[in-house]
Amino acid sequence: MSEPRPARTVEGAGGVASEAASDFYVVVAAYNEGAVIGDTVRELVRNFPSTVVVDDGSEDDTSQQAADAGATVLRHPINLGQGAALQTGMTFSLRRGAKYIATFDADGQHSPSDVHQMLEALRAAGADIVLGSRFLGEAPGIPFGRKLFLKAAILFTNITTGVKLTDTHNGLRVMTADAARKLKITQSGMAHASEFIEQIKRLRLKHLEVPVRIHYTSYSLRKGQNVSNALRILTDVFSSKVMKW
Amino acid sequence: MVIQVILTLGLLLALLYAFVQQASTRLLRLLMAGVVGFGIYMVWFPSHTMVFARFLGVGRGADLIAYSWIVVSFLLILVLHLRTVRLKGALTELAREITLLRADSAGPHRSVD
Repeated sequence: MSEPRPARTVEGAGGVASEAASDFYVVVAAYNEGAVIGDTVRELVRNFPSTVVVDDGSEDDTSQQAADAGATVLRHPINLGQGAALQTGMTFSLRRGAKYIATFDADGQHSPSDVHQMLEALRAAGADIVLGSRFLGEAPGIPFGRKLFLKAAILFTNITTGVKLTDTHNGLRVMTADAARKLKITQSGMAHASEFIEQIKRLRLKHLEVPVRIHYTSYSLRKGQNVSNALRILTDVFSSKVMKW
Repeated sequence: MVIQVILTLGLLLALLYAFVQQASTRLLRLLMAGVVGFGIYMVWFPSHTMVFARFLGVGRGADLIAYSWIVVSFLLILVLHLRTVRLKGALTELAREITLLRADSAGPHRSVD
């Protein structure tokens, strides 16, 4: 097992203490995001030197772009799914001595400044995990169809998990290392979002939602949820439930 | 008589397969045992099938046997699906270990491949 990295001073790190900076790991799962991952990572490493990109078997130059932009890049030998990529990133970060771990989307929908606020909220509340919510915050330009679909998904997830949240499918999360150690994401596909919440409930993790801003671009909208994804999520959730009977 | 033996063997094989799979859950095994047991009973006592058929609202005993076989097939498909899910999980763990081992051996370098 590797030694944790020594603390480094980070100039102008936007309010994050220099020692905490290297213990704070941001995990970004990426699959064929060569077009945008460079920009996303450049914005992140300015604030968070321990940015880890998990390339989920991309066919494009995602790994190279992420590495050139300054991230530590892990590469899955085959495509496993976003949930699996996040878990790999979390396991890696814990082995490197992370004290806090954030999950962050690759496509530029999230803001590093929201991560700062979430970390502060986590510390202030003594929580185990903080979840970003676009419906508490902002999501300018969200298409009506997407909003409707999300609201339905949120209602479905709230009912099936028994946890009341305003945004269950937000990839922006900040958690303590302890929480990360307890969580075990086994749903490789898109159903991992509900799995995070189910486990938060089962492990009785202290959680809260924080308003965040989602930037929709034509790129991210094209890649977003659609009907076939929704059906796949339903079958994944069904399989996982049947396996427990 | 021959066809009854063949059908019985077929049903028992299906049941054995379902039981042997690690991915099978207790409920699935119970369901399979129930349906197969019922199937074997109907194979050997076809005259009784009319009673059950009428009770279940099905036209003929032969139809009931056919429907039961469909149910058995569906349950088998479910067992296979769960097996695939389990395999995918194992594959994921393996791929993750490879990824992390490469990361460890790459040392302080940025890109690990």
